Amino acid sequence: MKMRDNELTKLVTRLESGGPLPTELYRRTGNARILGITGPPGVGKSSLIDRLIDNLRRQDKTVGVIAIDPTSPISGGALLGDRLRMQRHSEDEGVFIRSLATRHHHGGVTDSTSQIVHALDAAGFDIVIVETVGTGQDEVEVAEVADTVVVVLMPELGDEIQRAKSGLMEIADVLVINKADLFNAHAPATGPHYSALKWERPTIHTSAKSGEGITTLCGAMDVHHAYLVHSGKLAERRARAVRAEVTRLLQSRMAASILCALEGPQAQTILTDVAKRKLDPYDAVEKLTKEILGSQKRSSKHAATSTRRQTKKRRKTRR
Amino acid sequence: MKRPLKVLIAKAGLDGHERGALVVAMGLRDAGMEVVYTGIRNTPEQIIAAAIQEDVDVIGLSSLSGGHMAQFRRVMELLKKERVKGVLVFAGGIIPDDDVKKLKKLGIKEVFGPGSTIAAIAEFITKSQR
Repeated sequence: MKMRDNELTKLVTRLESGGPLPTELYRRTGNARILGITGPPGVGKSSLIDRLIDNLRRQDKTVGVIAIDPTSPISGGALLGDRLRMQRHSEDEGVFIRSLATRHHHGGVTDSTSQIVHALDAAGFDIVIVETVGTGQDEVEVAEVADTVVVVLMPELGDEIQRAKSGLMEIADVLVINKADLFNAHAPATGPHYSALKWERPTIHTSAKSGEGITTLCGAMDVHHAYLVHSGKLAERRARAVRAEVTRLLQSRMAASILCALEGPQAQTILTDVAKRKLDPYDAVEKLTKEILGSQKRSSKHAATSTRRQTKKRRKTRR
Repeated sequence: MKRPLKVLIAKAGLDGHERGALVVAMGLRDAGMEVVYTGIRNTPEQIIAAAIQEDVDVIGLSSLSGGHMAQFRRVMELLKKERVKGVLVFAGGIIPDDDVKKLKKLGIKEVFGPGSTIAAIAEFITKSQR
């Protein structure tokens, strides 16, 4: 895998900077199980993943990990400290770990997370784990990427009202109380009741420190996957993921053309008119929308013809 | 968008003196770089695997307990063996002057001893890599 690592790592770098995933690679995706691990900072997500890798490798499954930490709003730099917890797996040829900085993307993941998941999927990893930044209540984008979302909390993080709130608590397929060795946290007297036929979200107590509960957690994730497959929810989730991914790409493309259009001379005139109170902001948006859509049509037509030309060329060379 | 410089800061061998490496890691973060910090007790093999998987531009190695010649030499050997190209390697910590010369011969571009400023380290990296 070391040779494969060299290629894969460069591909990930290109994707991270907004480059496209090659079509032939995308065709090879859809085989990996994608796990999202999320929760507040410091609850032990990275340490838990270190334990999960251990367990999965013993089942002979290969694992790709995307570990995300925040970009500094002040310097634009980042301290990526998730890998540190899993560094003992670095030399394992069946494991690939990549740390990413959010680069100002909000939502708990990065702009390029979906594409990088595809890259690891196409590279043949059985399991792809996405570790989000330390999340608050409202950073739930990982639910649009992962098949199974594990929300990791720790004891004493709030009462039942906190549990009832929207956002993070709602996207959990599996709830984990890590550091269960602290505060005399008591696991439920009976084990989880879920089955592959009917999913009831389990709460699993773990200790990444001692390794307690990790086997139970792995089992729960397996059953959840089986449930997704049997119930047809997997196809549903992945369709939703595709829609979310295309929407995100479309939005960033549109945002880029909006920013580009705003630099143009006509836009400048419009903005000056708004500043002089000759035009109101809503009329300005009307005018700008027309202009942006106009230039979109022109550029997409151009792009379409050039792609067609390239395809023709490729066909010719193949013959 | 131009990507920020990506730096790996690691300590090889059994040396547990972490403070200096962590201060440098935070300093480079403040200088706008993306710093992967892998902490203490890495093997040279783990460091190189991390450098490849993280696709870093720079590796910073720290040593304060005398293991630098054996550990850093192995890191440089592996870098060559795995055909990792274009990665700048620098070091820091408690390293005698005679060894600094030897380390530079191995391809380590600069060694920062006690009293070095973060600004000097950041400037060195930026100048060498851009």
